[in-house]
Amino acid sequence: MKYALLVYSDQSSWERLSEEEAVSAREESMPRWIALFDEFGKADPNVQGRELSAARDAKVVRVVDGETIVTDGPFAETKEQLGGLFVTDLPDLDEAIRIAALVPAAAYGTLEIRPLTVR
Amino acid sequence: MEFLALVYGDPDSWESLSDDERSEAYEGYVAVSRDAQAAGALVDANELESTAAATSVRVRNGDALVTDGPYAEVKESLGGYYLFSCDTIEDAIGWAAKIPAAWTGGAIEIRLVHVDEAEAAA
Repeated sequence: MKYALLVYSDQSSWERLSEEEAVSAREESMPRWIALFDEFGKADPNVQGRELSAARDAKVVRVVDGETIVTDGPFAETKEQLGGLFVTDLPDLDEAIRIAALVPAAAYGTLEIRPLTVR
Repeated sequence: MEFLALVYGDPDSWESLSDDERSEAYEGYVAVSRDAQAAGALVDANELESTAAATSVRVRNGDALVTDGPYAEVKESLGGYYLFSCDTIEDAIGWAAKIPAAWTGGAIEIRLVHVDEAEAAA
């Protein structure tokens, strides 16, 4: 079963950190990322992951009466924003939940698991 | 550069379409994949099952809290994505404008994919 693991977190809390604090927070989370990729290596070596640039740099595109309208900023003004995603093939939802809980951002944000539609 | 185009739409309005309208709209999504692929601009595209099938996972104080449903209850939800490879964001906007949700009341959010410069250089 293929799943998208959507990583939501409050990006402004990162931006409030000084550069030093951000570096040490990253270093601190490194063993957890390594543990995650170890698990992915066993469960789905073909996992695809992408980290996104800040949501405030997002553009939103709509087409109204044939005209393309582009606005700055994310689509939804929610506190937590999508910061990245994994697309992975796992045996079942329980396994997806187990892996999602290993994503470091699960400890301060939310991991949303969505099955992919197969047509 | 890679750009992730997040497709937001109102699932209720999708449900309210007739079968013909729905297959026409679906054809439109497939056409974007096909055309972007032909132009060498498509990395990946996927449709997500509805937020009714979502599961949210949070870990607090070492405990995994699992709830049914999406992380946030919003009217217009993420229904899928296209991952485009383009030289400029203008090109990505051009592709986004062809996605049916952009002109059927939804919206496409474009996000630049972060590149780890140290990794990219290696």
